[in-house]
Amino acid sequence: MASQDHSNDRSQDRSRAGPIAMAPVAALLVVGFLVPLVLVAWLSLMPERTFGLDAGLTGANYVTAVRDGYVVPLGWSLAFAAATTAICLLVSWPMAKVLARRGSAFALTVTILVALPIFVSESVRLFGTSLFLMPRGGILAGSVNALFGIQIGSILYTKTATLVGLVYVYLPFALFPMILGLAQVPRDQVDAARDLGASGWQVLREVELPNAMPGLLIGGLLVFVLAFGANTEANVLGGQSVAVITKSIDQRFSYAQDWPLGSALTILVAAITAAVVFPVLARIDLDRLLRR
Amino acid sequence: MSDRSGPGVAPATSASAARTADGGEPALSLVGVTRVFGGSRAVDAVDLEIREGEFFTIVGPSGSGKSTLLRMLAGLDRPSAGDILLRGRRVNDVPANARPTAMVFQSLALFDHMSVGDNIAFALKMRGVARLERMERARALLDVVHLPAAYIDKPVTQCSGGERQRVALARALASDPEILFFDEPLSAIDNRLRKLLQVEIKELHRRTGKTFVYITHALEEAMVMSDRVALMRAGRIVQVAPPLEIYDRPTSRFVAEFMGEVNVWRAVREAGAVTLPELGLAFPSETIPAPEGFLVARPEKLALLREGGAAPATIAGTIVDEFVLGSRKQIHLRPDGAGESARERPTVFGEIPADAAAPGPGARVRLGLAFADCRFVTE
Repeated sequence: MASQDHSNDRSQDRSRAGPIAMAPVAALLVVGFLVPLVLVAWLSLMPERTFGLDAGLTGANYVTAVRDGYVVPLGWSLAFAAATTAICLLVSWPMAKVLARRGSAFALTVTILVALPIFVSESVRLFGTSLFLMPRGGILAGSVNALFGIQIGSILYTKTATLVGLVYVYLPFALFPMILGLAQVPRDQVDAARDLGASGWQVLREVELPNAMPGLLIGGLLVFVLAFGANTEANVLGGQSVAVITKSIDQRFSYAQDWPLGSALTILVAAITAAVVFPVLARIDLDRLLRR
Repeated sequence: MSDRSGPGVAPATSASAARTADGGEPALSLVGVTRVFGGSRAVDAVDLEIREGEFFTIVGPSGSGKSTLLRMLAGLDRPSAGDILLRGRRVNDVPANARPTAMVFQSLALFDHMSVGDNIAFALKMRGVARLERMERARALLDVVHLPAAYIDKPVTQCSGGERQRVALARALASDPEILFFDEPLSAIDNRLRKLLQVEIKELHRRTGKTFVYITHALEEAMVMSDRVALMRAGRIVQVAPPLEIYDRPTSRFVAEFMGEVNVWRAVREAGAVTLPELGLAFPSETIPAPEGFLVARPEKLALLREGGAAPATIAGTIVDEFVLGSRKQIHLRPDGAGESARERPTVFGEIPADAAAPGPGARVRLGLAFADCRFVTE
């Protein structure tokens, strides 16, 4: 009997251990995420250009958001996010396939090289890219001119440059989950598929993609969400060529001093993000990916 | 088995009979097939002919290169040297998906994200067969491997070990391959189920008439199922023969010892006799084809001698251990001998009836042995 009581105690300890371990993160999320989000949501329902939270509820800001053409920057942000996600996934796939074969020194070196830029500030890297892409005296154009005597143009301050920057910055976020995902593809299943007559494409579709899907989806989501909320790439590399929604939000809060409209735009971005993330997340078996 | 002939003599055997019976082109021919990994030769200059419709088993301890060999036959790996001929056509560079063969993997390698039906019909899907037709065929195959038709929509992850084995078998059959490869598929299941599936695979072989190439490390499994057995050791084939011949006439100590507990004694040819120095025995007026080598004798060839009974050679000693095998039991005998030489004497394995009157551990017995019941090997 005594030992049974003891084990009962322990299982109760364990059931208490969960909430206790979660408490610090939970507190942080409530203070840093939930409260601000509720505040912003509330503020978005205030009349325009008010700063108080008690001016009476209205949906006018959302009407303004649509009527004043904020759909355009929203659309650009979505387009950039979608394109960045697609390119990152496509570029990562072959590389992840090589790196997922664990154990080689080559794989480790490449992984470190890919991860290294993450430790350098994003702005610093983007200004570096900007220098690289400068016309005439820029690193790329200047070198080509000096070496081959050819004058080339520049993509700096275009939408293309923005996209290049987004892909460059967010590629690791697609790559690493994808490596995790591809490590889940059983080697013998690939062999079996080949043995049963599958071509390379069929192996990809029937065995590799389904098995690697959790990693693929997580990587895709990370890139999409980060790129959708990105601002610096468009600012530094896109110049005046494109306005993304985060820039509009920034302007509403700062120059325009219209917090309620800025909040409404923020809520729109959050709603779209949620509409993309939650359905995808529901399909991912996280336990499997983390090998639990 | 006592009517088998003596050492070194090769009478007409079932092997040569089978060879002449089937004059057609072999299903698979291997000519000097070699696979090198780094510096080591996993498969070393293997020559082999596997006949049409044959149940051919490759047996060997782990690391003997048998799986590597099978992967090359299936097209999942390429030989470093040598040729693989499929019905006379060189297939070295033909990838797995273009070979008319199918494999049952050791791990089974089922597609866990698919249903039983989709697993079985996979090969047909790859060929572009329409779904309805695929499922029709999958249903028929479920019946062939004795699984209920209702399993067709069941996730394969919800199947038991034995059911998964059957799904893997059905999946390999679905492509209607000319040759089926088995890479130790029964090594991870319990004994009863293994016996059952052995029978079913054997029956499947009879029914389909296809060529089966089976790999196992369990010789017992090879003996039960195969038409012919190849023994593999360190990348080389050491003997190819029907199971009984492998059992009765091993060509080397390795083969003899792989078949289970067996007596192997050093044998020396002397003037007018063959002597066994380890036992202090001699067979007068017998000879062996080499100055020195080994005599191999199965335990059941050593007969228990009654009081006053005689045999060409007798080994007296004390029973130290016994293992009941059913109606018979194997005994481990410590041969008599004095002083230093006693320690060098090998334990002798014999087999006697396991009745109530039979001597047990501690009893002193004499075992008789005829030279004709021994097999001579040089290495």
